[in-house]
Amino acid sequence: MKNPLAGVDWKRELKNLFVNHNYIFSLILLLIVGRIASDQFITIASLSNLVKSSVFIGIIALGMTLVIISGNIDLSVGSILALSAALGVVAFNNSESVLQMLLVSSAIGAGLGLINGIFVGKARMASFIVTLATMTAYRSITVQLGQGGPLIAENEAYFASLRPIGYGKIFGIPYLVVIFLALTALMWFVMNKTKFGRYVYAVGSNEKAAKLTGIQVNGVKIAIFTIIGLLTGVAAFLYVTRFGSVDVATAGRMFELDVIAAVAIGGTMMSGGRGTIQGTFFGAVIIYSIDAILSAFQVPAFVNDLIKGLLILGAVLLQKVLDRTRDE
Amino acid sequence: MHLEMKNIHKSFGAVRAVVDVSLTVGEAEIHGLLGENGAGKSTLMNVLGGVLRQDSGQILIDGEDHSHLTPIKSARLGIRFIHQELNLVNDLKVFENLFLKNEIVAGGVYLNKKEMIRQSREIFERLGLEIDPTAYVRDLDTSRKQLVEIARALLFDCKLIIMDEPTTALTNDEIENLFGIMRGLKKHGVSSIYISHKMPELFSVCDRYTVLRDGRFVASGEFADINEQQATEMLVGRSIVNDRIDKADCITDETVLEVDGLSCEGYFNDVSFSVRRGEVLAFTGLFGDGRGELAECLFGARQATGGEIRLHGETLDTRSILRVIKSGVSMVPRNRKERSILKDLSVKDNLSMAYFTSAHRGLMIRRGEEARRFEEKRRETNIRVGNPDDPITSLSGGNQQKVVFSRWFGLESEVFILDNPTQGIDVGAKFEIYQLINRIVETGKSVIMFSSEFPEIYKIADRCIVMYKGEINHVFDRDQLNEVDVMYYATGSNRKAG
Repeated sequence: MKNPLAGVDWKRELKNLFVNHNYIFSLILLLIVGRIASDQFITIASLSNLVKSSVFIGIIALGMTLVIISGNIDLSVGSILALSAALGVVAFNNSESVLQMLLVSSAIGAGLGLINGIFVGKARMASFIVTLATMTAYRSITVQLGQGGPLIAENEAYFASLRPIGYGKIFGIPYLVVIFLALTALMWFVMNKTKFGRYVYAVGSNEKAAKLTGIQVNGVKIAIFTIIGLLTGVAAFLYVTRFGSVDVATAGRMFELDVIAAVAIGGTMMSGGRGTIQGTFFGAVIIYSIDAILSAFQVPAFVNDLIKGLLILGAVLLQKVLDRTRDE
Repeated sequence: MHLEMKNIHKSFGAVRAVVDVSLTVGEAEIHGLLGENGAGKSTLMNVLGGVLRQDSGQILIDGEDHSHLTPIKSARLGIRFIHQELNLVNDLKVFENLFLKNEIVAGGVYLNKKEMIRQSREIFERLGLEIDPTAYVRDLDTSRKQLVEIARALLFDCKLIIMDEPTTALTNDEIENLFGIMRGLKKHGVSSIYISHKMPELFSVCDRYTVLRDGRFVASGEFADINEQQATEMLVGRSIVNDRIDKADCITDETVLEVDGLSCEGYFNDVSFSVRRGEVLAFTGLFGDGRGELAECLFGARQATGGEIRLHGETLDTRSILRVIKSGVSMVPRNRKERSILKDLSVKDNLSMAYFTSAHRGLMIRRGEEARRFEEKRRETNIRVGNPDDPITSLSGGNQQKVVFSRWFGLESEVFILDNPTQGIDVGAKFEIYQLINRIVETGKSVIMFSSEFPEIYKIADRCIVMYKGEINHVFDRDQLNEVDVMYYATGSNRKAG
């Protein structure tokens, strides 16, 4: 009898799987380590907890994936989150309307992203510098707005309409997780099924060649920064439903680091041209698995960031090594 | 310096770049090295500069054996290499570039800027140039940069100077100055090896010549014994008549594209021509003739500074590439790797991209439609590919180029601009590209091809415009085309020296 699988080159198949989707292996490894640390680690509840804590970072990271694939970076996401959340709270307190708050947060987020995009796309400035500048500028506006103190959603109204979104569940799965998954699916669709997605890859892969096939590179860049702004605005809305207030000085601070780390761990090339939305989803979850495992092992909080930093270095190094084997 | 290179061989893998070449340069001699692109001149000079190690052969300098040269040894012997491509650091000042790696230091660490600036001034005075040593190299134009490069070689004691096409960006006065200096150095016993395509220059400054062709030695002798015609014939060889590709005569009288007085400052000036339906119009010339920039201006990839382009009598708006594409102009750019290939994307995506940007309606990609289009084009242009979703980089150069061509098919383009369309692909694939070009004109489109390879111009061009220093120098009809004449006009031999 002939083995139907005889022709399959298992070594090659396995290698390809590993090269293209190594973040899955990383997650499995982490889950095993987590299981060793705590019996409670792999239960539906704890897994869903992992995803839940990665929602804010994760949603922004979906946008950051586009930004990085196009060969850019956005450091201002933490400040955009704070400002659109702050203005969202103001709108909510004025109108007590959830919808109005969602619209204000999203519009402010998209608008701030658009400003970044115009500097990068139209004025052709380096995105690193543009978003470094707007990171401080946006933050400053937020702090001025809240006069340094926190902006708090009206207590009664918060409990009546916002809190149910931040803490509610459907079939045992938190709304936040459902929204994260839906947005992941939406962005996956954009990147894989639309022309715009192809343009993003093309711009990051070879900007000159992209231009010479008629892609309007500047417009694509503006759109990308607007999209990450919009997603950050949505994340800001969810942030308020969860916490009920925005501390103008600290909300979203250093978010950009975790967001970029999630994208990097998810296998997106920092030099642009290559990367996936699903990779970023797992990347975001992995970041929080690390946090969870470290606390399960009762690692002192001060060492926490050191270990996280090393793991990110490892992930990007792995990418480099794998990229070399791919070119062989 | 008396230099003798004997029976030098150098191969790169299977490619034999230099085969059994000997070169002798006497004391106080200016030696012209002639050869077409790829004749082996640069390889030979890189061996002398110590950049490459020959596979076999001997190098004698003033009678001593120096067969194992390295860049450092070569420099110590007083050999200076002025490269064609500029090796200057834009972000440093002129004098810092001149003294790069040879800085004058006081007390072991402290840079003696005053002294370096003084010496820089001195060398510029000798060269009859007004260049400020404290200016940033970035702010100099190309010809000044080339002069700085030359000054760097002359700053230090040298016994042999190698110049690889040093005058491509220089004005006549600057060239005369340079020649004056070379003659002055000659009086001091310094030898030079001078590489150039420009016959008038070679004849005016050089004493002896050596001609290489296809990596082999052809001839050597005194310039006084030959004329420009003979030199060109040695350069291109006698057996240059290649077969033409069978081609139906499909040229009509209808003018499709007209270019009127097009200029792009610093690159080309007052270029006018027109293309008829079904015609292959070729542009050729030498490095620095402004051809590449002209191609870019026609497509809107570079903005012209004057003149007009008309397509079917209507002014072509070249401010946006997308608008140019939609008006019916396509382009296969030169340097595939840098300008055409989206290296992280699949074969299929690479092929579909121009269709997406200019003709496809709607936001979503329809998988079936994309696959059908791909299959249709793949068959049309005979692209050899396993899986359309494989990365484009998995294909051979020739197949990649066919993908780039296919990008533009089925978009109702009227004019195809092809800039060096067969660069870096093998002979078989080249032939297929020529057939593709024929197919384009047979379907009533027009082709403007920019090429530096005469054999391919001979094969497919209906007309050939030869450019020299940014201007149209001569126009050949198909039946007048021959390499010797084309070289004659490309080198500007019909004009005064320089």
